[in-house]
Amino acid sequence: MSSPAKPVIHSAWITGAREGIPLLGGYIPVAISFGLIAVQSGFSAWEAVLISTVVYAGASQFLFVAMVAAGAPLWLVVVMTLLINARHLVYGPNIAPWLSGSRWWPWLMHGLTDQIFALSHVRLPQLEARHRMGWYIGVAVVAWFSWIGGTAIGAVAGMELTQRWPLVGEVMPFALPALFLVLLAPRFASRHWALTLAATISSALLIALYGFKNAAIPIAAVCGALVYYGLDILVRNRLNSTSEAKNG
Amino acid sequence: MDSELWGALLVTALGTLMMRALPLLWMRRHLIRKQSANSLDAMPSWLTVLGPLMIAAMFGVSLVPPKINALSWWATGIGMLATYIVWRYTHSLGWPVFAGVAAYGSIVLLVSSSF
Repeated sequence: MSSPAKPVIHSAWITGAREGIPLLGGYIPVAISFGLIAVQSGFSAWEAVLISTVVYAGASQFLFVAMVAAGAPLWLVVVMTLLINARHLVYGPNIAPWLSGSRWWPWLMHGLTDQIFALSHVRLPQLEARHRMGWYIGVAVVAWFSWIGGTAIGAVAGMELTQRWPLVGEVMPFALPALFLVLLAPRFASRHWALTLAATISSALLIALYGFKNAAIPIAAVCGALVYYGLDILVRNRLNSTSEAKNG
Repeated sequence: MDSELWGALLVTALGTLMMRALPLLWMRRHLIRKQSANSLDAMPSWLTVLGPLMIAAMFGVSLVPPKINALSWWATGIGMLATYIVWRYTHSLGWPVFAGVAAYGSIVLLVSSSF
């Protein structure tokens, strides 16, 4: 006899998988580049796929392959690849209020990339508690498999693909900024958040333009936090002075 | 890959997983200790602010086009506009992204085919 909960769980998986599809545009071209670069750096196609499967962190993987190919000491390779992902430290705690006490959740954090965090941060609060794990697994599996598949394609036929369709790799990653815009758009309704987000986005853009893409994320977030709390203090001071003026 | 490189890969993979999982476990304990009816209230306020800011920072970084020139900036601007307009109408996730990529891609393809 089938449990009545099953279709619900299945539909949560499918919803998650469907909502993960926009990520493919950003993941596959980058994964193809990684597969190609890994093979050119002396790794076999299987090794490239294995790195994508177990590490599953874009910038870390590129750095790992580049440093190993350059002959850097392995302890330094490990330290640098972990440091570059330090921003991930704040992702889990941010979505924790919407996760159940299941022992599976810590293991599922393997799939918590930048983009999955962004999606989860917006979508998990909107979902019923019983649907959250199914939804998360659906979206994370689609993203993970696309990353692994893209790496395999890049390792086997990356050179041919990039020569035949050079513009595809240029156009498809636009799915990521478009997705981030959709996730942030509702917050622009508040003036406080609109100013904070504008400051964060423009500082991240500027830092990235100077070539520090990985440092841009934590630095811009800190700049944004300063703006947020600065505005908070400003509003509080204004309210205090207004009430003082009223009182006499 | 030799055994030392396998070891480095394993440590990197485990380290990355720990960096994603351990802070979650810490926050779970924090929420249990606070035992608040609304777990959001029990979260440190800086953390609730930092979440959207991290997404905004990723957005800012992802706006940098692969080739930096006037055409790419125009395509980015129009792609963003298309995404926003479709989001205003649909309030969905997939269609605005599709519209944005289509608008951005059309401009890049049009200009690259005419030169």
